[in-house]
Amino acid sequence: MTNVLAMNQVSYKRNLKTILHDVDLTLETGKIIGLLGENGAGKTTLMRLITGSAKGKGTVAVSGDTVIANRKSHISFSEQLHGFSNSTKLDEVIAFYQRVYADFDPKQFTELCTFLQIDTSLKLSSLSKGMKEKVIIALTLARRTNLYLLDEPFSGIDSMSRKKIISSIIKWKPENATMVISDHYVSEIAPILDEIVIVKDQTIYTHRPADSVREEFGVGIEAYYESLYEGGVQHD
Amino acid sequence: MQFDDKVPIYYQIKNHIYHEMMTGQLAAGAKLPAVRQLAVDLTVNVNTVQRALGEMIQEGTIESQRGKGNFVTTDTTRIAQLKEQLVVEQLERVYQQLHALNLSDDEIITSLKQYIEQRGQQHD
Repeated sequence: MTNVLAMNQVSYKRNLKTILHDVDLTLETGKIIGLLGENGAGKTTLMRLITGSAKGKGTVAVSGDTVIANRKSHISFSEQLHGFSNSTKLDEVIAFYQRVYADFDPKQFTELCTFLQIDTSLKLSSLSKGMKEKVIIALTLARRTNLYLLDEPFSGIDSMSRKKIISSIIKWKPENATMVISDHYVSEIAPILDEIVIVKDQTIYTHRPADSVREEFGVGIEAYYESLYEGGVQHD
Repeated sequence: MQFDDKVPIYYQIKNHIYHEMMTGQLAAGAKLPAVRQLAVDLTVNVNTVQRALGEMIQEGTIESQRGKGNFVTTDTTRIAQLKEQLVVEQLERVYQQLHALNLSDDEIITSLKQYIEQRGQQHD
């Protein structure tokens, strides 16, 4: 098993405040990982440290590459389309992706659009929250990379869209690619996770196989995750 | 398929396939769907399906044919063994629970008999 990600003693401060410290995290190829933690725990920061859009102390290697420009080419990160104006048509967004990312696969994108029932002639402003999330997923999964980072793809969307997104992850994630999905609502994605990483107390609190939680403690992922937070209160 | 999040998913996938084998939805020698298709159908991780199938290949309930896919074993003795194993697992569970209620072995047999007779009448 080779590693797609190796983070070594990574720390990050913003305005003198420690957001994450002493992060050691190694992820193997081909896995789906649930990145769990409360709002503000540092999940998005962790993803930005991986892509290199946030820089901290320590080393980050993606597929063995530590140089940020190279790292970015190995990563497909679910960006929120903030860089586009509301009047932009989806077709134009797609054309942009194709121009910027050499690994963008238009055929795969078309398949994803059919599956997720995305109408690419619409403008960004006319998309519902759920539809926008589906577009982001389709754009992210249409790139052929080693590492996919999905930042809270299920927040604020209806359960039908959630199910569709989960199915598209199972269908289209390349076998050798690793996917990190951040969420603070665990129960729906729990069955598709190989491993869970819990961010708590500004660091990686736990990293273990999802089935080992069930096997060793006889509890579900959500109950386990909640128990860590309840247990943590006593230390404060 | 609905999963119990407290039980390892690979274990539940195995039980799901066993169930299909016992009810004849997957007959002896039948071809199983491709791994990714199974993952999509059950809404689970491909790796977890692979783990479940790997264990079933090890125990001989399914057979892997290179380049062709996975098939339910045609070994009827093995299927009969599996059925017995599943029955024993269920009986063990019921036995333990009745035992925990302080029923003796004789009482367990009597109450099971009674239960089945009454159940039969209700369903007639």
